[in-house]
Amino acid sequence: MADEKRKPTSAGSSIRKKETDPIAAPEEAVGAPRPFDVKTVEFLIRLMREHELTEIDLREGDQRVRLSKGLPAGASYSLPAMSYATPASAGAASSGAPAATTAPAAPVKTLLDIKSELIGTFYAKPKPDKDDYVKVGTRVTADTLVCQIEAMKIFNEIRAGVAGVITDVCVKNGDPVEYNKVLFRVDPS
Amino acid sequence: MFQRILVANRGEIALRVIRACRDLGIEVAVVYSEADRGAPYLELADQAICIGPGVATESYLKPARIIAAAELANAEAIHPGYGFLSENAAFAQQCRDCNIEFIGPPASAMHRLGNKNQAKQVAREANVPTVPGSDGLINTDEEALHFAHVVGYPVLIKASAGGGGRGMRVARNDETLLTGLSGAKAEAEAAFKDGSVYLEKFLDLPRHIEVQIIGDQHGNVIHLFERDCSLQRRHQKLVEESPAPNLPEKVRQAMCEAAVRLAKTAGYYSAGTCEFLLDKQFNFYFIEVNARIQVEHPVTELVTGVDLIREQIRVAAGEKLSYSQADIKLTGAAIEVRINAEDPANDFRPSPGVVKTWRPPGGPGVRLDTHVSAGYRVPPNYDSMVAKLLVHQPTRELAFAVMRRALREFQVEGIATTIPIHKQIFNTPEFIDGNVDTTFIERVLLPRGK
Repeated sequence: MADEKRKPTSAGSSIRKKETDPIAAPEEAVGAPRPFDVKTVEFLIRLMREHELTEIDLREGDQRVRLSKGLPAGASYSLPAMSYATPASAGAASSGAPAATTAPAAPVKTLLDIKSELIGTFYAKPKPDKDDYVKVGTRVTADTLVCQIEAMKIFNEIRAGVAGVITDVCVKNGDPVEYNKVLFRVDPS
Repeated sequence: MFQRILVANRGEIALRVIRACRDLGIEVAVVYSEADRGAPYLELADQAICIGPGVATESYLKPARIIAAAELANAEAIHPGYGFLSENAAFAQQCRDCNIEFIGPPASAMHRLGNKNQAKQVAREANVPTVPGSDGLINTDEEALHFAHVVGYPVLIKASAGGGGRGMRVARNDETLLTGLSGAKAEAEAAFKDGSVYLEKFLDLPRHIEVQIIGDQHGNVIHLFERDCSLQRRHQKLVEESPAPNLPEKVRQAMCEAAVRLAKTAGYYSAGTCEFLLDKQFNFYFIEVNARIQVEHPVTELVTGVDLIREQIRVAAGEKLSYSQADIKLTGAAIEVRINAEDPANDFRPSPGVVKTWRPPGGPGVRLDTHVSAGYRVPPNYDSMVAKLLVHQPTRELAFAVMRRALREFQVEGIATTIPIHKQIFNTPEFIDGNVDTTFIERVLLPRGK
């Protein structure tokens, strides 16, 4: 009868490392291949870089991985992906998150966000048959009227608050918006 | 019945309401501030809507944002939880004016009971005893002596312009009453530019006993017995239990019936609590009504088997109460401890931060209401309660045993909690004997620990 010795694997060395890690990866101890392991997370990070994604959020059953690039302003948590990943993906996300939140491969221009301070419905145009207030490429100043947000039957005019060129329109006409929802991105240069 | 409800609160009570909605098959949306972004309980709702920055006055306390969120969510009703806007009569009215039901009492009852003086009026109308007061200013020594002899010593001399515990003196006999009066008048004149004083009966070492009531929009009001909440620190409850220990049955009956009478007189419906102080002679005096669901409502749920939040929702939807008074029975003994993120070894200093380890208790007789889990960041912007740990057993003695077991199992690291003080409380002879009052924690227990 052959002695069945467990061969050390690359997973084995990471087990040892993670035992001293204060945020240990519980799934490594199980040993079986998991859907959200380091390789998967590395793949997702590459995907994000290639396609310039800011966030990936995947769920399967009650397992979940969420990778989020550090968004400008807004989020008050420094490590949202690490804090709230489910236990099964905690280890994977903790090795993936630093890469995701630090620099992507190519340098990115700093864009400014125009965020909603109101809760309500976003209107891109003054009336259904009129043109949008602004679109991608429109040059705005702080006073430019960029949209309206309707709350409790009252239409509120929203001004840009920043100067530059609109690079992204992040919501559609009629979308519900909440506090701090990014409406537009502006290139200030 | 509602199709969708918006929960206008946070933390454990938001989760509590989400759960009740799930039980009833109602869709549920929940609001959150930037300080609560990413909290795991938000994912248990069908929709989560950010309503503002962390500071409560810019988010959870902003009626316009809450109502806007309800419209966004297409919610037909708003559950305000406790605290925040739950006792704001104007907000309740605004919701209803916007065709959104407010899951709570009518604004009129909230107005009447929200003002302490008016509430006392309602109590008198309902033949419910209140703390005897001089009903007006004391201008002469004779008036003062007369009052003191009618209600009995000790009496409390209060400055009309005072507040927050300032300008109050206790007098235990005629001599100290008269010297106290002139002293209090002089102090009040100096501190508040108003030397007028009045008198109230002073209750020595009272017990805090409150009665849970619930009413529907058809005029039915029932009580669900009482809770003893005498263990308090700085007027914040630490422990609550039902039934109140060492309470004669006649007194229990009288208090519970008084609470129902008062609620009916005020035209009250939905859940509410009538608070009383009980003196050593078992006289009870009405203090105030909490016109909302309370933190400690699960204590009553455990001993009566009634789900108070589900019942609140049904009542708000116009249904009749699911129970008659005869259906309500008190079985066994239930106790709740409030676990706060505070450090009892450092004068209960708040201890926000990330929870590194969270090993909650479980097993027979244990109920844990909490929104916290490992990795959760306790924000510094709100009250520090992280969990409510409850036990329910056939006897009070067994309830104590189970609570000790549960407190021992409960491991939390990363934040300080009040678990250690609760362990001390449940080994305190006076509490085990049911002989504590509202001053006990500060007067006896905390000094003992030093």
